[in-house]
Amino acid sequence: MAQAGFDRRRINGPEESFPPVFDDDDDRRPSSKPRQGRKPSEIRPIFLQPGLITQANGSAYIETEKTKIACAVYGPRQSKNMAYSENGHLNVEVKYAPYACRQRKAPIRDAEDRSIGVAIHQALLSSVRLELLPKSTIDIFIVIIESDGLEGCVAAGSVAASTALADAGIELFGLVVSCAAALVDDEIWLDPTLDEAQYAKGSLVLATMPALETVTSVWQNGQMQTVDVIKCMELCEERCTEMHSVVAQVLLDSQR
Amino acid sequence: MTTSEDADLKAAVFQRLHPRVYLERFVAENVRPDGRQIDAWREISVNVGSISSANGSALVRVGNTTVVCGVKAELAEPELDAPTRGFLVPNLDLPAICSPKFKPGPPTEEAQVLSDRLNEVLVTTIPLESLCIHPGKSVWVLYVDATCINYDGNAFDAALIAMVAALKNTMLPKATYNEDTMRTTCSRKTLSPLQINSLPISMSFGIFDSHVFPDPTSFEEPLLDTSISVVIDDNGKISSVSQIGADVDALLTCTSAARKRHEFLSQRIYL
Repeated sequence: MAQAGFDRRRINGPEESFPPVFDDDDDRRPSSKPRQGRKPSEIRPIFLQPGLITQANGSAYIETEKTKIACAVYGPRQSKNMAYSENGHLNVEVKYAPYACRQRKAPIRDAEDRSIGVAIHQALLSSVRLELLPKSTIDIFIVIIESDGLEGCVAAGSVAASTALADAGIELFGLVVSCAAALVDDEIWLDPTLDEAQYAKGSLVLATMPALETVTSVWQNGQMQTVDVIKCMELCEERCTEMHSVVAQVLLDSQR
Repeated sequence: MTTSEDADLKAAVFQRLHPRVYLERFVAENVRPDGRQIDAWREISVNVGSISSANGSALVRVGNTTVVCGVKAELAEPELDAPTRGFLVPNLDLPAICSPKFKPGPPTEEAQVLSDRLNEVLVTTIPLESLCIHPGKSVWVLYVDATCINYDGNAFDAALIAMVAALKNTMLPKATYNEDTMRTTCSRKTLSPLQINSLPISMSFGIFDSHVFPDPTSFEEPLLDTSISVVIDDNGKISSVSQIGADVDALLTCTSAARKRHEFLSQRIYL
């Protein structure tokens, strides 16, 4: 239900408009086991391209089937209006395009955008050498062009942001890669789509730096037994290590 | 540093400190700073239909300027004084991601001006009566949102092509209005394309020291004395002309250059 308050800075439509209701909406069945299309531990192929946004210091575009995210890094640049700080600041801003989800999102930034921003910030913070950049800010801007579930966006956004940071030449301790997992009944499905995640009891997004074998962030939602959480983390970590070589190769190829 | 790196650094510093003189040096050799001939246009590439969450979508690149456009269709009640007209709501967003000169926050003046100009042109493309489902009760609202991801000048041309291509790509589900329940239901299986009246293409020029630059880049834009945009529809008729700046002679040159460019583009862009 899109109730746009009159925004004098944009062209406005009618006061109230509703997303279309389909006649077969009640017939849609929840995801059934076994998983459709791929094995539970399989992740979808990733297309990652750095350097597409020429105006930025570094950029990356990531696409995994229905998740399309563009990320640009500006910095290090001067921290305006901020008191002197010995370490640099990392600022992550995420924006959904209005057409990214099934229901149109108004262009106003809301809590969901901010929560993805916070999750990606947490994933990247320990990988950037901020102590080398006093008085500076690194701005990471992420635009979600098409979204296939919140966990998918956080995971793909973290990978894109880390690639963009490397593309910008900012000193890092290591590349951050991230993988999402969902607990459906008793099976763990990696890289869940929006439909799969909706029927999961709980989900987990793990961000790691495989080069240093360290975890940078764990984001868990829903009800999961502790053993399941540990199992998810182990499965995600394996995938992350595979992803890391892909990301490193992509960065190497782009420099040639 | 090798001598070629040294020369690149010197050129980059000169470009930052004296942009006008830098541009004048190129113009004296009849080229533009990005290497094209002084009257050449940049390559345009259009890719439609890649965003499945939108009813229609297009990604357009004009040189480095990249604009993504998505069309979302929603249902609404029509205005009281226009019971058979639907709504077409175009908006261009220039977010902080696309250029260092845009800060995060509400739409800047530039974005608002461009959205307004796009709205004026798009009003001619679709007959709003074709969006009516049931007069006085239920109509379609088409939200046409364009997002610029890389701003290298001439966002207006790129955004217009993106919006029109996205509209051409849009498939609307068949909607039926039930008078008893006063609700509209749509069918996922029957889709139909939009009725399109015209497919406008815009061509923008900048005037610098009485030289006409077609398709200015983001480096050239702040140095221009005058900007002229010519919009031509698919019948070859001029749909709109806008000039910002005081130049008196360039308008005729620009309209004829625009017509020539339109002949080249018209069959290639909106396939």
